[in-house]
Amino acid sequence: MLVVNNVSKNYGDFTALKNINLEFGSGVYGLLAPNGAGKTTLIKMLVTLISPSKGEILYNGTDITSLDEEYREVLGFLPQQFGYYKHYSPKSYLMYLAALKGIEKKVAQEKITELLDKVALSDVANKKMRKFSGGMIQRVGIAQALLNDPKIVILDEPTAGLDPKERARFRQLLTELSRDRLIIISTHIVSDIESIANEMVMIKNQELLYKDSVENICNTLDGAVYETTITNDELASFRANHVLLSEKQEQSKMLVRFVHKGESKEDWTVKNPHLEDVFLYEYRDDLSLGV
Amino acid sequence: MRIVLQELKKILNWKIGLLLVLANAILYFLLISYHIEHFPNGRPALDSYRIGIEMVEKYGVSMSEGEKADFKETYEQRLKDADEYIQSRVDFSSVGIHSYQDFQDINYENQEQAELRNKVVFEENVDLFWELQERERLIEFQNENDIIMANEMERGSSQQVATLEEIKATGNYYIYPELVFYNYKDFIVNVAIAIIVSVVLLLSPVFIRDRSLRLVDLQYTTRVGRNIFKRKMIAGLLAMFMVITALLAIYFSIYSLNNTGMFFSSPINSFIGGFHWYDITFFQYIVLTVLAIYFLGFVFALLAMIFSNLMPNFVALVGIQIPFIIAMIGPGISYLIYQITALDLSQWLVPSGYVLIIVIGSMFMLFVWRRERTLDIVH
Ligand SMILES: Nc1ncnc2c1ncn2[C@@H]1O[C@H](COP(=O)(O)OP(=O)(O)OP(=O)(O)O)[C@@H](O)[C@H]1O
Ligand SMILES: [Mg+2]
Repeated sequence: MLVVNNVSKNYGDFTALKNINLEFGSGVYGLLAPNGAGKTTLIKMLVTLISPSKGEILYNGTDITSLDEEYREVLGFLPQQFGYYKHYSPKSYLMYLAALKGIEKKVAQEKITELLDKVALSDVANKKMRKFSGGMIQRVGIAQALLNDPKIVILDEPTAGLDPKERARFRQLLTELSRDRLIIISTHIVSDIESIANEMVMIKNQELLYKDSVENICNTLDGAVYETTITNDELASFRANHVLLSEKQEQSKMLVRFVHKGESKEDWTVKNPHLEDVFLYEYRDDLSLGV
Repeated sequence: MRIVLQELKKILNWKIGLLLVLANAILYFLLISYHIEHFPNGRPALDSYRIGIEMVEKYGVSMSEGEKADFKETYEQRLKDADEYIQSRVDFSSVGIHSYQDFQDINYENQEQAELRNKVVFEENVDLFWELQERERLIEFQNENDIIMANEMERGSSQQVATLEEIKATGNYYIYPELVFYNYKDFIVNVAIAIIVSVVLLLSPVFIRDRSLRLVDLQYTTRVGRNIFKRKMIAGLLAMFMVITALLAIYFSIYSLNNTGMFFSSPINSFIGGFHWYDITFFQYIVLTVLAIYFLGFVFALLAMIFSNLMPNFVALVGIQIPFIIAMIGPGISYLIYQITALDLSQWLVPSGYVLIIVIGSMFMLFVWRRERTLDIVH
């Protein structure tokens, strides 16, 4: 459906992405990487806001720039940061964007009612957005992305600003949507995505690190994730020798989760690796966890 | 079309409306009100205005030799009235003034006579004396307009001479008082300035507003995509057209207070004060200046939108617009509006000035659009 072919992007002398090759079919894809890794850069290329410095992006075999409005017609996009007119209500704002999306007025009206209901904003449909909370604005943003019943939905950090309840509803909404659609969601929050994504895309050092199912990605650390209890005094030396994933105070001791490749000690228990573990392990330098 | 309307609605919001009202109120009091409230401005302007009306009513928009003679006859008549008036007042005879001729030949060293003259003319404002003074000036121009023409021809280029020959053949030049015509020119130049400022205020936000609000990412990824640029531009031009029309309607209804309609059919060359390339009436001249204002509005609309697109923020936008507008309005407007028909300028100067600014504006706009079409939207 959507193919990223050998794409690089430079901002002046700075290389943001290098030789990215990706293929997306229908399903939910999580784009997972820490801050500044190039998620927004990749997404902006996918939605034609910026063009690749090298390579091409194809939709059903044709370059997306030359497809022009034919491509944008099937696209729903939520930018990481987006604007709105403070004196517009969600309804008038969505009507405005519906016009830009070429949706007929009548159709748009019905769709807007339906979507506002889905994102739980029906009560404030006609209220000015001036006083809306960040989470409410974000939900308006999610609604606008879905206005044109898009075949490709691209959401850049859609859960930013949402509270846990809203996050849950958002995941629910995505699961409903995911049939026959391509959904790409960028995030640096593992829990937002691991349960709903069919595949994860991870970027590291400007290059593609993984594009695989959560299970396969987790398997890269199979048998290398352990937990053990140590004393507080041991922590410093332990940190120096192992890649720590998490530490938890338990009475006077410390429960640590860590990655170790090679011989194990007997008081260590092997754990099933989670996506979070891979994330923390792979980006240990970027995340400055103190390895 | 729906998108254009949406964009139009965004441009014509009440905040801008308020801003335009405020700006025009200020500019009206600074620049325009003078030409309305002080028309005709004192004496002998009032007399010039009255005599002008009398001439148009009596003789029409041109004067035959017979009518010129009649005009002089009227003057002689008024002269007699003045003589009688002077003789009827003892204060005149007591200082040795027995006729209008004496009055005119007053010896200013003679304090009594000088004081009396000042009293009659400036304190009592006796119409007759003011009127005679203006009639004398007009008759002088009528008598000497062929000399003025000869001088003009001597200085003129072959093209100017050819046009002057045509004007000469009509015999209808440097005849009618110029007050109304020059008042209109002063009025319309300042209206043009107010309108240009209004257009720039109106359209400066067109692109920069959505950009600073970060709406561009959303707009450019919808079906219409970057073509919204063109829709915004069209909406901007429509808004410009509407605002100019509304402002012109307001300013011309204010202008109607000057009550100059009786001169509308007068050829502009019949007025004292200059020659014009085109044989048009005062009304046609008004239409011409109105068209000119629409063209100027178009150019400034393009420029305002271009800057709105290119400038990184509002501060930079204001920073570039103000000196730019002052530079353009300063010397430009005199040529493009005030001297739009002036024979002193080469005939091609003003029209090619318009062509030039329209072409430059459009090309610049085209360049900005082409840049926008492939621009990386990074922020
Ligand atoms: N216009 C630009 N000019 C120069 N460098 C840029 C520009 N935009 C982004 N970058 C750099 O490119 C890198 C990738 O940025 P990008 O915004 O794509 O990251 P991200 O993964 O979306 O981060 P975040 O999680 O913070 O949104 C960053 O180092 C950033 O500083
Ligand atoms: Mg980002």
